Amino acid sequence: MWNDVLADVIQETLAGFRQELSAFGPRLLAMAVILIVGFVVAGLLRFVLRIALRRLGFDRFAERAGLAHALGKVGFAGHASGALAAGTAFLVLAFFVLLALGSLDLQLARDLVSQAFSYLPQVMVAGALLALGAVFAGFVRRGVLIAAVNAGLPSARLLAGFAQSALLILFGAMALEHLGVGWQIILVSFTILFGGVVFALALAFGLAGRELARELLERLARKGEPPREDPLRHL
Amino acid sequence: MSPPLEPKVDEQLREIGRADLLVGIPSYNNARTIGHVARAAAAGLAKHFPEHRAVIVNSDGGSTDGTPELVASVESAAPRAILVRHPLSVVHKIVTPYHGVPGKGSAFRTIFAIAQRLGVRACAVVDSDLRSITPGWIELLLGPVLHEDFDYVAPLYLRHKYDGTITNSIVYPLTRALYGREVRQPIGGDFGFSGRLAAHYLKRPVWDSDVARFGIDIWMTTTALADDFRVCEAFLGAKIHDSKDPGADLAAMFVQVVSSVFDLMHVYRERWESVTGASKVPLFGFPHGVGLEPVAVDVERMQRIFRQAASDLREVWEAALLPEDLAAVTALADVEPLWVPDPLWVRVVYGFAAAYEHARLPREQLLRSLVPLYLGRTASFVLETASCGAEDVERRIHALAEEYVVQKPHLRERWRSQ
Repeated sequence: MWNDVLADVIQETLAGFRQELSAFGPRLLAMAVILIVGFVVAGLLRFVLRIALRRLGFDRFAERAGLAHALGKVGFAGHASGALAAGTAFLVLAFFVLLALGSLDLQLARDLVSQAFSYLPQVMVAGALLALGAVFAGFVRRGVLIAAVNAGLPSARLLAGFAQSALLILFGAMALEHLGVGWQIILVSFTILFGGVVFALALAFGLAGRELARELLERLARKGEPPREDPLRHL
Repeated sequence: MSPPLEPKVDEQLREIGRADLLVGIPSYNNARTIGHVARAAAAGLAKHFPEHRAVIVNSDGGSTDGTPELVASVESAAPRAILVRHPLSVVHKIVTPYHGVPGKGSAFRTIFAIAQRLGVRACAVVDSDLRSITPGWIELLLGPVLHEDFDYVAPLYLRHKYDGTITNSIVYPLTRALYGREVRQPIGGDFGFSGRLAAHYLKRPVWDSDVARFGIDIWMTTTALADDFRVCEAFLGAKIHDSKDPGADLAAMFVQVVSSVFDLMHVYRERWESVTGASKVPLFGFPHGVGLEPVAVDVERMQRIFRQAASDLREVWEAALLPEDLAAVTALADVEPLWVPDPLWVRVVYGFAAAYEHARLPREQLLRSLVPLYLGRTASFVLETASCGAEDVERRIHALAEEYVVQKPHLRERWRSQ
């Protein structure tokens, strides 16, 4: 008798599993296919983009705009074209992953896909803000560095680094604000971080850059006086 | 295209009708000196060209110190003491503000337009801050055009060995190597040119660029050389200016002049690529020695800026210099006293010219980063020639110019490589 009961239970379980599998299996298969296609498309896109961007001179543009330098600062050693190609491929892959999850037709997956798609524009705008900030900060850093060296200021790198950091922090805060990630936390963090940087710089300026401070103050004091003439005629 | 002229000037031009000669004086707050310049121009025209109809044009950038009024009040007739003959016609005067981008180039544009309207045969332009101009300058700048059919007369001055360092280290040797003609002061500021060349200048679409500011002098010289106009030089003696604007920013001036040279390299690429060697142009006037004002140079400051740049601007210079040149330049920071050899300096300039052409960095930043290298080179030159006389220094500058010619294949190669 026990054998019959056991056989029935197993049969019912297997039948249920077969039923579940016949209902869920195609979705699982579809997810696997979508993922494989996603990997292939993302890989191909990365390959094509990398070559196309190089041919279009994107690396030179990134060099000019200071993007390459900013990427180097965050530890990316390769070409800017490689970074952009990889980033785009990642986005495409993420899109396919969402599609794959959607194909499962689970409530959780549906919610996740819906939330992700509604959040995507903000993520893209935040990414664009970060990229723009990196380019702009790199440009400003180089300009400040060159101007400070030409003016004979001994702490040219410090000034340039400060200008770049301030802009990166500003753009980073703007990106986070756009994402809506804990606005209060961001505001407090930004205030503390920015205030900390300014305080550290003021200390560094006062302690290590006394000479520079004196020179700058002397320049300010001389502003009202007629400027001293450069005796050399360059033209 | 000709710039618009003031209605009053238009009316004056109708009254004058035609003229043979024109002397243009661009100005901006030059009340201290412009009276002398205008008198010298009037005397030069009356003394040396009494049989020709002549006009003096003051093209002013909005002076507030009475500069235009001073020109207007200058007597057109020259003092009897310097005249050999009575002039047959009076020298007309036109005083007008110019329009467009503020700068010497825009002032010249108005002068060219007036020259074209009057159909003049020969023009001269002279700086309004000159203290050493004499009536003889007018003869030397206009005579070769009027009597010898030259189209462009470049000035040849005697200058202190440390005077005109951008000219000596970049503009003169580079222009000579590029276009194959030896014009020693391509950005001298005082030139003679034919009416034909003035009309040619007016047609060029450059009046919103740096040409309209400091770049006008090199643009005029290069255009005359590259477009195959007949070019000569006139020896004018010493050039003594009024003290210049102390607030003038070296980096801004450097960028305007050097960017004009590099922009012209782009325009005339096909022309200069085929040129090899360099030859002299005919010289008018009588070269003689004169006493020159001493020039004090702050070599220490120049060296300090160069040395700081060698450590701080490496990442910027990488965009312009080959790795071996960059290494050589940065190694110079440890050399005491600083010495920048000619071959390395020429490779630096050629490297920056190619980087500018290919826009490897924003162009203004690129050229501003060349300023410390230029200061280093200038300091090196001053230290090297401290005990040299004027002739030795001139030979030294000529040797640098030859180095530019020798390394021109390197420029072609860098220019072509992306």
